[in-house]
Amino acid sequence: MSTSWFDQAIGLAAGVLLLTSVLLVWKRSLAAAVRSLAVQGVALAALVAVIGIYEGDPQLVAIALLVLALKGFLLPWVLDRSRVRIAAVREETPLLNTTASLLALSLLTMLAYLVSRPFLTLAPGPTSAAVPVGISLVLYGFLILTTRRHAISQLVGFLVLDNGIATVAFLTSGGVPLVVELGASLDVLLVVLILRVLTSRITAEFGAADLDDLMELRD
Amino acid sequence: MTPIQAGLLTQLALAALAVVAAVLTPPRLRARVAGAAVVGLGVAGAVTGAWALGGGQGALRIPVSLPFDPVVLSPDRLGGLFMLVAGLVGAVSASYGISYVRGPAASRTSWSAMAVFLLALQLVPAAADAVSFLLCWELMAVSSTVLLLAEHAHRAAVRSAALWYAVMTHLSFVLLLVGFAVLADAGGGTGFAALSTVPAGSAAASLAFALLVLGFASKAGIVPLHVWLPRAHPEAPSHVSAVMSAAMVKMGVYGAVLVTIRLLPGGPAWWGLLLLAFGAVSAVYGILQASVATDLKRMLAYSTSENVGLMFLALGTGLLLRAQGSAGPADAAIAACLLLVVSHAAFKTTLFLGAGSVLHATGERDLDRLGGLGARMPTTSVAFGIGALGAAALPVTSGFVAEWALLQSLIHGANAQDRLVAVVMPVSVAVVALTAGLALLAFVKAYGIAFLARPRSEGAAAAHESAPGMRVALVLAAASVVVLGLAPGPTYTAVAAAAGLPGPQPVGWWGIDLSAVGALLDPVALTVLAVLLVVPVLVVSVRLARRQPRREVDLPWGCGGVRLSPRMQYTATSYAEPLARVFDDALRPERDVLVTHSAESRYLVERVQFQQHVGDIVEETAYRPGIRFVDRLGLLARRLQNGSIHRYLGYSFVALLAVLVVVSL
Amino acid sequence: MNAGALVLVVVQVAVMVVLSPLLVGVMRQVRARMEGRAGAGVLQPWRDLRKLLGKETLQADGTSWVMAAGPVVLLGSSALVCALVPLVGTTTFPLVPDDLFVVVSVLLLGTVALALVGLDAGSAFGGMGSSRHMTIAALVEPTVLVSVYALSIPVGSSALSAIVEARIADPASIASPVSLLALVALSVAVLAETGRMPVDNPSTHLELTMIHEAMVLESSGRDLAWLELGSWLRLGALLGLVGSLLVPWGIAGDVTVPALAVGVLALALKLGVIGAGLAAGEVFLAKLRLFRVPELLAGSFVLAFLAVTASYLVVQG
Repeated sequence: MSTSWFDQAIGLAAGVLLLTSVLLVWKRSLAAAVRSLAVQGVALAALVAVIGIYEGDPQLVAIALLVLALKGFLLPWVLDRSRVRIAAVREETPLLNTTASLLALSLLTMLAYLVSRPFLTLAPGPTSAAVPVGISLVLYGFLILTTRRHAISQLVGFLVLDNGIATVAFLTSGGVPLVVELGASLDVLLVVLILRVLTSRITAEFGAADLDDLMELRD
Repeated sequence: MTPIQAGLLTQLALAALAVVAAVLTPPRLRARVAGAAVVGLGVAGAVTGAWALGGGQGALRIPVSLPFDPVVLSPDRLGGLFMLVAGLVGAVSASYGISYVRGPAASRTSWSAMAVFLLALQLVPAAADAVSFLLCWELMAVSSTVLLLAEHAHRAAVRSAALWYAVMTHLSFVLLLVGFAVLADAGGGTGFAALSTVPAGSAAASLAFALLVLGFASKAGIVPLHVWLPRAHPEAPSHVSAVMSAAMVKMGVYGAVLVTIRLLPGGPAWWGLLLLAFGAVSAVYGILQASVATDLKRMLAYSTSENVGLMFLALGTGLLLRAQGSAGPADAAIAACLLLVVSHAAFKTTLFLGAGSVLHATGERDLDRLGGLGARMPTTSVAFGIGALGAAALPVTSGFVAEWALLQSLIHGANAQDRLVAVVMPVSVAVVALTAGLALLAFVKAYGIAFLARPRSEGAAAAHESAPGMRVALVLAAASVVVLGLAPGPTYTAVAAAAGLPGPQPVGWWGIDLSAVGALLDPVALTVLAVLLVVPVLVVSVRLARRQPRREVDLPWGCGGVRLSPRMQYTATSYAEPLARVFDDALRPERDVLVTHSAESRYLVERVQFQQHVGDIVEETAYRPGIRFVDRLGLLARRLQNGSIHRYLGYSFVALLAVLVVVSL
Repeated sequence: MNAGALVLVVVQVAVMVVLSPLLVGVMRQVRARMEGRAGAGVLQPWRDLRKLLGKETLQADGTSWVMAAGPVVLLGSSALVCALVPLVGTTTFPLVPDDLFVVVSVLLLGTVALALVGLDAGSAFGGMGSSRHMTIAALVEPTVLVSVYALSIPVGSSALSAIVEARIADPASIASPVSLLALVALSVAVLAETGRMPVDNPSTHLELTMIHEAMVLESSGRDLAWLELGSWLRLGALLGLVGSLLVPWGIAGDVTVPALAVGVLALALKLGVIGAGLAAGEVFLAKLRLFRVPELLAGSFVLAFLAVTASYLVVQG
């Protein structure tokens, strides 16, 4: 198994991860966001699988399958259902307009690139070279969380954040034990389910899933 | 006596002659006699500068009755370059001024101030010690303020502009004074030779760098210290604006280059980053404001901010790359900075003189009220068009060459080992690209709205071509834009020599070969190729035209109607409207839409009035609060002064007592 | 070297002059067929050109020499771009390298000429088209230059022929994420520069939405012919450039008759496929609102920027 094949595959998976997150910010349609998220999940699974195959670690491959099932299919499906149920079409008025968010993305990428310097100098190699992508994902997730108003977008942001953390974890430690990953995945699933219930409740209460309405609860 | 000494003495003599001529000759002859002397002064400066640039040596010591060393004037190669630029700009602008000036701008004071101003401009780069530098600098500041005040009796805006200018320019002076003092203290002398003994890594050097760069940035019109620029340039007489924008602002750049290349070479990377950040902000903000400005000269002033921003960006890139060890691209960046200086001097002179002709002919500066001048002022139109091409950095003008060199140095500057540079370079490329794109829009707007289409006011409709003297100066300036663009090789060699860089390989017909970054540009060859391609088209066009000449018809398309008035054309405001909307958050334009409904029904509209004003957001957010604070202090101070003589005597008495008490302690 | 380059320039420009009207014809025909119309045939642009060149040239009262000079400048700049870009072969004059920055500037010269033609007539539409055209051109510029930057990094040179040759030598580099990101960004920029969907609808004559058509509204006869041919050449050259970067095979490395023949055939094939694909895509696209265009361009800018950032990742990894 040649290293250049490995390089290419890691590079491609990392590229798809980045591209899907850019698309997430670019498109205001929630359906497109959920689709991009699904693709991102698949890319993450592919990344894990590539590392697993390269290192000949069956446990990593099993984790890859788990990630694929959970992030590639289950979570997007859950999200999509709740999107359909509350009939949400698009993110109407994000706090930061699309153009500015996109420019913010490029700055965040740069930041990610700068802060990941220690990883790159410690262990040069294709896996650590893709670490900035994971950190970018974390930052993008935060950006989405802080600037989008719709509850579904919030979930999307949260999942991007989680994908980012997972990416960094797999790239730097060469994988986490199956049990830990299983636990983490279940946590995420649980959070998403709870948030989904909350979203439905917000919609039922206010007739919209705009989180700014929650401010009214303060009184 | 060396040629340099002779040149410097000639300049002093010609300046004195010009002042005497301005004071003594009758008004009828004043412009011609004093103007000729000022032109001579400019030419003398240019010749001296060229000699110094070529490596000529020589120092002029002028003993002054101050407790200092004598004033020492001894231009080196770098100073020579700037003296050459200032001299040429001054000569062309003054020769334009001879036919241009009327009224207060033609007074004794104005012509004397013009001579002193130009002399000071030419001597700033000749100064060889900090004291002489500051003396010349202050002379330059004071004389330009006097020039700016020329029309103060007629327009209130002039007074306000002069006030802003005076405050900012003295702020700059104070910063420079303190900066040089810090440096002189560390270096043990005020001569540049002594100053350059300070190691660049020391704390004193860094402090001095910060102070000096702030001072120079203020003179150079770098955002956020640019506020005087868009006020002063429009209000000064146009030939003075040309000198201010094309030469005086460059002295700020000269100062920055002087400090970072000559006095304190090898500074740390953050120096470069600071300059680069200043430059980037200035470039984008300046050109954004220029794109939405409707006052022709205000727009040119903001474009100056943009261009100086690019120069700082280039200089910063050069310093950063030097500090990080990529010498080749660093040299290219520093050379690009100086190329930008030369090129900007050429096209901004053209543009300001062109704007002067427009103002002279129509009495209008507002683009929204101009139009159709191309047919009425063909020479001015072509010259301004060439200047605009230069400002938009299109081939084959001087602006294009400079920006090409800058981009080449930027894309070759980064290497993967150095992450700081790898992060900074792409951002800089994006900034330069956005600036170039917006400059394109701004200058298409300026040229297209002012010179094409139909006149939008009576003043524009009654425009006439300017006097031959003005046209000659304009044509000279425009020609320099093209020549510098076609033959960048010699210019590059000159600026490389000025900054002490290895010269480029001469290539082809006066082209440049930046072998350090593996790029080559030969505008003449490019032009030849373009001409070869255009010739067949022209041949076909001419043959077709012989068969069927073009015919003029009454009106352009008006949706089937024929009520097409010039008011239905796009104006400068509407031209930049999409852009103003895109950059709404950065510009914060104030819009007023006033709809008058018809008396019969609210659904019928009688008239719609639209007003848009784009203020300077930096001024409003950063300066206004400060000014309000000072105002409040002033009010407080007025309480101390109530006009009672007893109170004033009381103050003196208290002061005396305080001094006595302190002395006795 | 010089003679070879001269031959290549002549071949490229001649081929493009022949091919680009055909390209536009193919695109219109594909679109017509997909929309259920019969279409005017692939040769219609050529027939239009011939007709326009034979017609009398009218111009509105009060217009200036720009009306006559602008079209020639646009055509000249497009022809120069055709000559510089490696479409058929990579041989260049030693003194006129196909530096991408130069190519972009030459292209912008045409953009400016067109915008001035739009302003010159003094009608409301011309100004509107010109203003929008320049706004878009200004915002496209960062994407173009940053993607140029991204493409130049692996080669260490902004000369197009060097980039294309490197891609022929190492085909794997084309499929790398960096190159794909940069190409996608460049393609969006090309769509915006040439006024295709979703930025401008090339077939619209709805007065309030048109951009390109608004600027050429006042031109007629040979002026209009040159404007149209210039715009088509520009479209052809830019699509050809994307084609050369995406599928660099078939481009002649030297100037021999068989190599050039293969180059011309490959170019025709690439242009045909890209044009047909673009036209097919346009059928399904709606034009963006003007104020949504900056979002599109910002997105493509981010892609180009990521390409640059990522290329440093890959290079040092």
